[in-house]
Amino acid sequence: MSVLVLMEEGDPSQQALTLARAFGDPLHAVRMEAASPFAPDAVAAILQRAADDLAATAVFAAGTDRGNDVMARLAARMDLPFAANCVEATLGDPVVVVRSRWGGSLLETANLHSPRALITVQPHAVRVSDGPPPIDVDVKPYLETLEPADRLVQVEEHVAPPGGGVSLAEAKVVVSGGRGVGSKEGFAIIEELAGLLGARVGCSRVVTSAGWRPHADQVGQTGTKISPDLYIACGISGATQHMAGCKGAKRILAINSDPEAPIMSLADYAVVGDLKEVVPAISAEIKKLR
Amino acid sequence: MVLNAEGTALETKHLGFTISPHEECGVEEAVRLIEAGGGESVVLTLGPPDAVEQLRDAMALGIDRAIHLQTDGGEWDGQATAAALVEAIRADETASEPFDLIFFGNESADAGGFQVGIRVARALSRPCVTGLKGLKVEGSSVRCEQDANGGRDVYAVPLPAVLTVKEGLNLPRYPSVPGRMRAARKPVATATPVRPEARLEMTRLSVPGGQGRKTEMLGSGAAAAPRVVEMLRNVGVL
Amino acid sequence: MSAVALAIALLVAGGLFARRALLLFRIVRAGAPSNRFGEIPDRARAEAVVVVGQSKLLQRLGPGLMHAVIFWGFLVLFPTIVIAMIGAVDPHATLPWLGAQGWYATLVDAFAVLVLAGVIAAFYIRKVQRPARFKGSHLGEADVILAWIAGIVISLLAWHSSQIALGLNDYPREWAPVSNLLAHTLSGSWVSILERVAVWTHVLLILGFLVYLPYSKHLHILVAAVNVFFTRTRARGRLEPVDFEKPEAEVRLGAATASDLTWKQILDTMSCTECGRCQDACPAYNTGKELSPKLLIMALRDQVRAQSDKPLVPNAVTDNVVWDCVTCGACIQECPVGIEHIDHIVDLRRNLVMLESRFPEEAGTMLRDVDRASNPWGKAPSDRTSWAEGLGVRVLQPGEAPPDVLLWVGCAPAFDERARQGAISTAKLLLAAGVDFAILGPRESCTGDPARRMGDEYTYQRLAKDNVATLNASKVTKIVTTCPHCFNTIGNEYPDFGGRYEVVHHTEFLAELVRDGKLQPVAGDRTITYHDSCYLARHNDVIGAPRELAAASGKTVEMARHGKRTFCCGAGGARMWMEERGKPINEERVREAASTGADTLAVGCPFCTVMLDDGVRNTGTKLQVIDLASLLSEAVERKRAQGSAT
Repeated sequence: MSVLVLMEEGDPSQQALTLARAFGDPLHAVRMEAASPFAPDAVAAILQRAADDLAATAVFAAGTDRGNDVMARLAARMDLPFAANCVEATLGDPVVVVRSRWGGSLLETANLHSPRALITVQPHAVRVSDGPPPIDVDVKPYLETLEPADRLVQVEEHVAPPGGGVSLAEAKVVVSGGRGVGSKEGFAIIEELAGLLGARVGCSRVVTSAGWRPHADQVGQTGTKISPDLYIACGISGATQHMAGCKGAKRILAINSDPEAPIMSLADYAVVGDLKEVVPAISAEIKKLR
Repeated sequence: MVLNAEGTALETKHLGFTISPHEECGVEEAVRLIEAGGGESVVLTLGPPDAVEQLRDAMALGIDRAIHLQTDGGEWDGQATAAALVEAIRADETASEPFDLIFFGNESADAGGFQVGIRVARALSRPCVTGLKGLKVEGSSVRCEQDANGGRDVYAVPLPAVLTVKEGLNLPRYPSVPGRMRAARKPVATATPVRPEARLEMTRLSVPGGQGRKTEMLGSGAAAAPRVVEMLRNVGVL
Repeated sequence: MSAVALAIALLVAGGLFARRALLLFRIVRAGAPSNRFGEIPDRARAEAVVVVGQSKLLQRLGPGLMHAVIFWGFLVLFPTIVIAMIGAVDPHATLPWLGAQGWYATLVDAFAVLVLAGVIAAFYIRKVQRPARFKGSHLGEADVILAWIAGIVISLLAWHSSQIALGLNDYPREWAPVSNLLAHTLSGSWVSILERVAVWTHVLLILGFLVYLPYSKHLHILVAAVNVFFTRTRARGRLEPVDFEKPEAEVRLGAATASDLTWKQILDTMSCTECGRCQDACPAYNTGKELSPKLLIMALRDQVRAQSDKPLVPNAVTDNVVWDCVTCGACIQECPVGIEHIDHIVDLRRNLVMLESRFPEEAGTMLRDVDRASNPWGKAPSDRTSWAEGLGVRVLQPGEAPPDVLLWVGCAPAFDERARQGAISTAKLLLAAGVDFAILGPRESCTGDPARRMGDEYTYQRLAKDNVATLNASKVTKIVTTCPHCFNTIGNEYPDFGGRYEVVHHTEFLAELVRDGKLQPVAGDRTITYHDSCYLARHNDVIGAPRELAAASGKTVEMARHGKRTFCCGAGGARMWMEERGKPINEERVREAASTGADTLAVGCPFCTVMLDDGVRNTGTKLQVIDLASLLSEAVERKRAQGSAT
């Protein structure tokens, strides 16, 4: 039973591959860059042709923005159902999937009634297991058969985001400092860690009131509401007003010297300790990997 | 005239939940476009009877009229939803004018998002661009911006088009009370589509184990650093 | 001849006065409606106590006495105006009976001197002491008025003494000691001229004053007494609702221009004497914010006088002034002339929010959350019971028989970790005392108080009606709540929407249980200072019960600003959800608490708990902020431990 996977750079595609392996072999892959400049309808068209030629019983992709975009178009072209953001997929008649709803707070189990299962995999929800790499499909013949309509929606240029740099509201990772940082200069270690993670620096209200950082960096009810993949809160006690600003975070790591601070039971991960020691230690550990 | 427009339709597909922030930005964008260039805006939803509240909320922001496809509150998968919407849109376009733009929220809070807008676009043979954070109508085409790779990808497609938008596109206005009072009197057309067989059929919902964050202790002091880094790699940040 | 002159003077002065007074009266009449015509006995009592008894002014003894003597002097000396006018026409005539009474002459002399002393004291206060409350007031106008009063009284004494010197007095001269004394110094032919000059000066000064009155802040002598009569008597925390049922064009969405103000608000602006007591008490003003309640009323008065139709925001006041207010009511508490500043602020907010959607952005988040999620934190309603996990609290289901008492939890204790301590302790104590109670759980929704205080009356009324429907369907009759804001709105404001219940604050209910012996505490060795919540003490007179609980838990010590003169924690007026500029109000209050030497800061409100706890953390003060219910719980535990130890 042949299975087709749409691949991109990064772990989410590896996670998709992991689930795909249960559906059969050999695995074949079409790369997202197959159509360059990126045109989602073109990639979908290529996937459709390849899937037909391979008689694929399933097409998988990572549930990234592009992955969902392309797969939805594939589903529309083929008039087939599409299960997005799955965390489990079981081969069978019908295929059974478990999908993530409400950003992961709810799971939906569903039967997928389709001759060809179209599935994207929720990023960071599946443990990657090793296996043979998929066979790259030769897309050149398919490129030639593309229609102009398939290239109508195509990236024309890539620009810097307005206001330069990813804003706090859009950052995927945010490292925040609170009262525990102690001073404006104390934020140097926070900025170092943020730099290593490609993250934005945030802060709590106490910090902006004290003038250590501008209001634009403030996370909270009266500041910016954020929903990063990871929120690292250093020296922040976790008052309700602050938590209201970061409750959208998929995961929270709290570093605080007070084990009884409210945030320590609200976070997913916690380290008890003085942030002035813990944060540089984490940075040092990261640098060792590079 | 930017839009010698006959209409900008806004769709809020929802299944019994409140209007999502993405859809709200779509409503705001539609209202702004009509304010700037004239024309008419319509809000459309598929949902149970009390979904009409969300339609009134959208009209309080300035949308002219609404279409409510009433369901009994049961689950409609993405395909079924899109099909019902397409039928309603075609009917409205025949009765009134074709839409220059149709907006969707990029994903609603639950299932079905990501694909409804794309399916509708395909059925209507119109280009679709997704996940928009910026857009500008220029004559008979629209320039769209999408977050990608630390910056923004720019697309340009001709009208009529279908666009799915994300929170951050704009800052929706807070409806004024006169706006809300007027919305209570604006017209809502109702229809009751028949639900086809579900092809992505929900069998049950469950709460994932360990809900209500259970905090995992990674250690104390600087010695916890290696475990922290391990966690960072597991979650995909490193 | 003199009669003609007097008649002309009276006609001219009277005519000028009447014309201006009529204009002002018409302006008041044209104001929007405000229902203040019930509770006549309470109003009469307030009149007696506040106006005649000068109770608000006497809150500050020095200036209070100064004003009281001038005011009482005015009342006592009033008949002398008539006597003087009669005397101006015919020096031998006077008022029948009263003009001949020795005791009245004594009173007149005494009060004339007292008034003069009052004027001198007033000048001393204004020129030498120069209190900060006068910052922004028109001091020049006050000087003119004081000098005028002095002139009136001096000319009266001059007239009386010259009458006595000429033997024209109808009362025994020994009964007017001061005038008598002065009369001894007067001799010669010029005294008869002095007598004529004095009486005509006196009459003309009075008539001139009459004309000047409606153009100056001295108008308060006519308006203030009326204004006090129409001030709220009970239910002081109740705001007047907006009537949305009217046809759209007639719905009054707060005040945009001076012509939108209610007649009471217009009367407020005409009553202001620029005394600045409100400014002195205002927590916002005293922590560096733009708002001064005095300057607000003065600015509105200027717009009213000019009959301007310019938007009040920003022409009279800036947006900041409107949003700085915490609705604590300290201004209203201090005001001797019955001005209700909160009504003005809320009406300005109503217009900004409901018509213009113009308000601090962060507050918009709260409004949306209240509207969509029925709580200001935007959390899931299903989380409302997590505070009660494991306590064995009954959750009232629809259709079940109602409990004796409904414990209304409120949003803060449900969703905020620090604020929930009070609710947890209260629940435990109620269970221990065997009270039949239940909570609504997820069926509770925000009472709407933050939305209403922000001016979003539309959202408020929707929530209020929903809650009233839930409460009425559940058939509860008695509600106990741990939050003073819920207490105020359910008890004072929900009746406007069909919800009439007996509403009690948890400290009152617990204090009753202690008095009845159902809960037995024993005091420990904490030194406790109790922070009165504005919505308990000032708006609703709940002052004693919390103190009973504090006294049952430890040694107590009072802050200077306590009871009805308490100082806000800073959360009211929906300010909990807005960024604060200037010095933090909560830190100001925490410093005051610390200065009493207490180790424990007792509170009766979840918002005060959070604000003061923040204040303690930010200032590093050694104070533990703890709800009275938790203190009582501790004290009851202590008694139990003692009991089992023996």
